[in-house]
Amino acid sequence: MPRRSGSMFWRIFRQLLRASRGRLTVALIALSSGAAISSALLNINLDAEQKLTHEFRTLGANVVVAPPSVGSDAALADAAIMNRIAGAGSPQSLAAAPYLYVAANAGTQPVILAGTWFDQVQKMNSWWKVDGEWVTSRDDNSHCLVGQAAARQFGLAPGSHIELRAGEHSVSLMVGGIITAGGDEDSQIFTSLDVAQNLAGLPSRLSLVQLSISGTPSEIEAFRSRLASALPGLDVRPVRKLAAAEGSILGRIRGMIFWTIMLILVLTTLGVLASMAALAMERSRDVGLMKALGGSVQRIMRLFLAEAAALGVVGGTIGFAIGVLLARWIGGRVFGVAISPRLAVFPATIVLAVAVALLGALPLRLLGRVRPAEILRGE
Amino acid sequence: MTPLVQVENLEKRFEAVRALGGVSFEVEAGEWIAIMGPSGSGKTTLINILGGLDHPTSGRAVVDGMEIGQLSERELTRYRSDKIGFVFQQFHLVPYLTALENVMLAQYFHSITDEKEAAEALRRVGLEERLEHLPAQLSGGEQQRVAIARALINHPKLILADEPTGNLDEENEATILKLLRELHSAGHTILVVTHSQPIGNLADRRIELEHGRLARITLPVR
Repeated sequence: MPRRSGSMFWRIFRQLLRASRGRLTVALIALSSGAAISSALLNINLDAEQKLTHEFRTLGANVVVAPPSVGSDAALADAAIMNRIAGAGSPQSLAAAPYLYVAANAGTQPVILAGTWFDQVQKMNSWWKVDGEWVTSRDDNSHCLVGQAAARQFGLAPGSHIELRAGEHSVSLMVGGIITAGGDEDSQIFTSLDVAQNLAGLPSRLSLVQLSISGTPSEIEAFRSRLASALPGLDVRPVRKLAAAEGSILGRIRGMIFWTIMLILVLTTLGVLASMAALAMERSRDVGLMKALGGSVQRIMRLFLAEAAALGVVGGTIGFAIGVLLARWIGGRVFGVAISPRLAVFPATIVLAVAVALLGALPLRLLGRVRPAEILRGE
Repeated sequence: MTPLVQVENLEKRFEAVRALGGVSFEVEAGEWIAIMGPSGSGKTTLINILGGLDHPTSGRAVVDGMEIGQLSERELTRYRSDKIGFVFQQFHLVPYLTALENVMLAQYFHSITDEKEAAEALRRVGLEERLEHLPAQLSGGEQQRVAIARALINHPKLILADEPTGNLDEENEATILKLLRELHSAGHTILVVTHSQPIGNLADRRIELEHGRLARITLPVR
């Protein structure tokens, strides 16, 4: 019973793979290694933005809501504003800390007092160094946190007491911890919002709200715009320095990953080329013979290209699997959290591996130029 | 009747070296021709041109109405698969294909494969027990018989054999010659390149080449 030529194609194809398994294994190792690193880097690239923005969020607020005239006496209504921020519906909002700044005195010396929600401040500034204990409850009206410069100025340590006065009001607080933030915070004293409002005689008033929003720069900007629409008459502005640094770091990491992948692919192609060049030498006699038997160049090359493509698919699949493990490992080492594998990386890895395999199969494609008479005469 | 092969003033040069010069002869369908001559006399060059593996530098080589020098690469490929059956001194089997697959390979390049027909071709050369053997598992004579089965599978107009017994012992040589005789009796046209006088004597005519020129055409001594 005559058979379609397709079945003979696969029969030869199988025998070809079996006969050249040594050299093909070397090419497969090169392809799998290249695909593994590329796949890991692609996974990291896709996850890095999320992971890095999460990391960036420990660096403090990136959006500030404040009255339009900075330095004016204008103040915000606390309950109303906090409710409207919560109602803006940001799934990416990690923390929102209201602040009321009060010019107070400790003894005879002036000091800036920042009334806030301790729990939110801790969430937003987890990197602050605290000597003593964080004050964690926003309703704690008996403790305060003191910046390290202020602590030095007033001779304070965890457990000591401080008497604060503003106008007619005064309060005595115990120092819970001494904070080192590396900024203006180091010369401030942090109390609960209630304490600051009572001391200043400004119940339910705020100076500003700091927000820590997670997401890509564009997602953050979208949320900022949404919030600005929900809060007419208020400035909702990004912390420019931080946003620019985030964008720049992400851009550089992306660039580095892209060029590393390119370099890996070039090296992989060279590895495959070396194996295929040796294979081409071995197969030149067979190609000459096939041409002598009436095999067209296209038909013979289809065999070799199918072989290279199969190598690419297998190498890409193995590489993807190894790459997922590699990405998890790198994620754990760099970010402390495993990188989640992305399904979209699988076809991308396969396409890259097949492209590299076909490019590396160039020596086999050159076999199409073999002149059968020369090859057969050479014996 | 038009001869199957017409060679007129055929010349082939490899740069400054003239491998063939002014060779002319004709072969009728069904003839067995021995092409003889010392090494370097142009025998293989002649057979390569007739087989469509090489282009002539000048002159004409016409096989079954097709002028080889005028064919494009694509047409030459088709010509080789349709008209020619090759048998080489070195057998030239694909080492990673079985005996059966080597025969089917020629079918594959010609049109469609027919495993039963390929097996039958191998049975005719006495290899029905060796279908699934790789060339390395076959003796020289068996490999050459596979090559003959492969050469015949597409029913070529012309069988070109270049020293088909050159690498065989006497016993295997006898087997191959018996096969060639059977093919001749069945009406196949055969051109055999050989150094061997006994093989030359089996042919209908002997074309003798010297230094790339046709020295003489003789009838065999029987």
